[in-house]
Amino acid sequence: MSDTIYSTICPGCNFGCGLYIRENRALDVDFRKSSPANAGKLCRFGMSLPRFYKPIKSMVDGKETSIEDAAKEAAKRISAGKGSTAFLSFGNTTCEELLALRKASESYLCTGVNFEGLPKDTYQTLSVGIPYSEIENAKHIVLFIDPYEQYPLIVRRLISAKNKGAKITAVWWKDLALATENIRPEDVSKLQFTKDSLIIADFHPFSDVEQVKSVLSLAKNAGAKVTFLKPFANSTGAYIMSKDAKQKSLAQLVDDINKGTIKTLFCLESNPLELIPSEALGKLTNLIVQTGQAPDTKANIVIAHEPLYKKKGTLINNEGRAQALGGAGTNGLDALGIVAGTKFDFNSLHESVKKALGVAAIDEFTIPKYERPAYGAIQAAPKQPEAKTALVSVFNPFMWSNLSDDNDFVELSLNTVRALKLLKGGMLMIKSNGSAIEKRFKVAPVPDNVLLSCRKFGIEKGTITPVEISR
Amino acid sequence: MQKSEMYVGWSTKEDVRKRGGSGGLVTSMLAAALEKKLVDAVVVLKKINEFEAVPIITSDVNEVLNSAGSLHSVPSNFAKLIANRNLKVALPAKGCDVRGIIEQGKRNAINLDNTFIVGLNCGGSMHPVVTREMLEVMYKLKPEDVHGEEIEKGKLIFETKDGKEHAITIDELEEKGYGRRESCRYCTIKVPNNSDIACGNWGVTGDLVGKATFVEINSEKGAKLLQNAIDAGYVQVQKPDEKGIAMRAKIKGVMEDLGKKWKGKVFVPIDNGRLEYFRKELEHCIDCGACKAVCPTCSCGDVSKCTEYHFRGDAYKMSMYHLVRFLHLADACIGCGQCSDVCPVDIPLTRLYRRFANPVQEQLKYEPGMDMRKPPYFEVKLNE
Repeated sequence: MSDTIYSTICPGCNFGCGLYIRENRALDVDFRKSSPANAGKLCRFGMSLPRFYKPIKSMVDGKETSIEDAAKEAAKRISAGKGSTAFLSFGNTTCEELLALRKASESYLCTGVNFEGLPKDTYQTLSVGIPYSEIENAKHIVLFIDPYEQYPLIVRRLISAKNKGAKITAVWWKDLALATENIRPEDVSKLQFTKDSLIIADFHPFSDVEQVKSVLSLAKNAGAKVTFLKPFANSTGAYIMSKDAKQKSLAQLVDDINKGTIKTLFCLESNPLELIPSEALGKLTNLIVQTGQAPDTKANIVIAHEPLYKKKGTLINNEGRAQALGGAGTNGLDALGIVAGTKFDFNSLHESVKKALGVAAIDEFTIPKYERPAYGAIQAAPKQPEAKTALVSVFNPFMWSNLSDDNDFVELSLNTVRALKLLKGGMLMIKSNGSAIEKRFKVAPVPDNVLLSCRKFGIEKGTITPVEISR
Repeated sequence: MQKSEMYVGWSTKEDVRKRGGSGGLVTSMLAAALEKKLVDAVVVLKKINEFEAVPIITSDVNEVLNSAGSLHSVPSNFAKLIANRNLKVALPAKGCDVRGIIEQGKRNAINLDNTFIVGLNCGGSMHPVVTREMLEVMYKLKPEDVHGEEIEKGKLIFETKDGKEHAITIDELEEKGYGRRESCRYCTIKVPNNSDIACGNWGVTGDLVGKATFVEINSEKGAKLLQNAIDAGYVQVQKPDEKGIAMRAKIKGVMEDLGKKWKGKVFVPIDNGRLEYFRKELEHCIDCGACKAVCPTCSCGDVSKCTEYHFRGDAYKMSMYHLVRFLHLADACIGCGQCSDVCPVDIPLTRLYRRFANPVQEQLKYEPGMDMRKPPYFEVKLNE
């Protein structure tokens, strides 16, 4: 008897939290206290990883098969589609696999985010964030995120900064306990930014381009620092590895599926149902999913490789810190080779990763030196929600991964509770576009016209959904 | 061999003597237990680097012989690792590991008859991330250059790869916020006499300093474990000298007094605003449940009062989860510090639990994890 233990990185977001996965009778999570990003600490999602890593089998049209045969069938169908295949990865896998995907993808690569809609000279700023130690030493921090729900491991860095005297301003729909000043998003123009300000926002496939431009512009005009957090395990790696590749946005991909120019979608470690409307997915001739844990969508082909914790390869976190996964598996790369009609060699891809980072070895304790080029002036015209009442979806690791969580409620103001004569322990009726749902509610310091939710209820249209509410 | 006897011993294997701490006796004793089938498995630390090691359960004698020994900057607790696994196992254990194991034994999650606990004297452990920062800030050393570490005469000494030693007093380090974890500073279990056999370097004298381990047998199982290692040819022992015995008792006394002083320093009474203090400390909680998952005395599993009475959608100013845990831990907290270590928002949880546990355990004259005594009922007194 000997324990099998993997030193790995949490796939919940791009924070880069180190942990151990222990394979005993079931999977166990163990704390890796020497990890520089998180000191072994994990959020609610990290603690839920044994539920996230659901075992999976390779399938073709509902019939179980080997990984090789599934990959061969995928290659056959992609080839028969003659250029009507899109390759999608949000960045939930290693840099080495992402490089291989880029080679396999030929002309249609999608990492989910909308780089096309943003100035090219902001690419690096959007791709690589600043070290967490700089957050701890900032004098004024402006948050465009809810750190508790979206990127929980940043909370301790913010508290540390606050303990050192930093002022923390939250530009959010809810008052945040750690903020010294809470303002609402529509009041951001009243806020004074200086060169001592550090803006923390996030960048993901549902990011509103005008909102991202607005944040970049605020930082540019004040000479402030800005850092973007990201929701997928290797978002930063995905953006660095596809830096000079032509990429399509998620919206473009959905358009092309709807138009019928894309008939086959190949997803690498990315659950399409999370981000692509099911009506669009229904129009595909072939949905091919290569993944390490069971997807909650019916794919024509499932290529089941090892879960992330068993893989060999490199992840890059929000800070740009390169981290080696502790597994030895490369069968994901082998399958990608079959799909692409070639053979990918891990070592040569790994060399390319190191070259792209300008490092001789992957060392999690040393952040590679990144260029942080200035970008030009940006015009932004962010729109404020016009709805009388808006349901604001707070995207968090559970939502991105469609993993159930103890968050089946909405947050609303005490005034709303009183106006609707809601009863403690009762339900709130939420209507949108002809759909109606009943939800539990929690009183929270939010504006009277906002409902906050950390769970998808199925009525959402992006981040902000106009709704009607009643008792 | 029998209870209360003391020895000084060392491994007969040269490579283990060199690699293991203090003559490699513990490593060899564990390997012999496995080799001679006294146990089916052994828990050891698998070393990753000077600041990282991962606890593993193994039946491989070579894996035991090649293990890390003890590292001050690996603050793990082994109790939960062996709970509910029905193993015949031997393992090294600091005072807080032993207390966790005994508490799991009381809750029928560990069969103590099948568990050989090798206690390790412990002056305290350090968090690895804090240790790396301390090396750079206080010692002006690159962590990568460090080859080994030792605590001697109140100093924390790091040896670098060039063979040089770098020492700073623990008092100075702790004044600057480095050094031992907070819970270790006020811990008073320095020699784990609640284990089957207590081992450490305190009391080793003369030429044997750094080359041997002082052991005290605390139970029949402890005697069996040591005798087995001697019979297997893994370990040699001799009787300690009087000077060594006295020295060990003195160090133990000094360390325990220091722990008591720290306890007074950390737990300054809160006369007013006690409720506000707890609310404020808990305001950043994100409901991850890591404090419960890591707690070596909790054996409730996923479904328990603290989780079942709590719902994230409730708008209580202090969650029922924490209130139930405060109550549960009042007579169960062993002050190991694991909950503070793993809290993602740095809530000083051990300090909060101890604020309830200290008065309750003092009033009941009950220290969890020290023996198999079950906690007496406690009553709540309301101030008139």
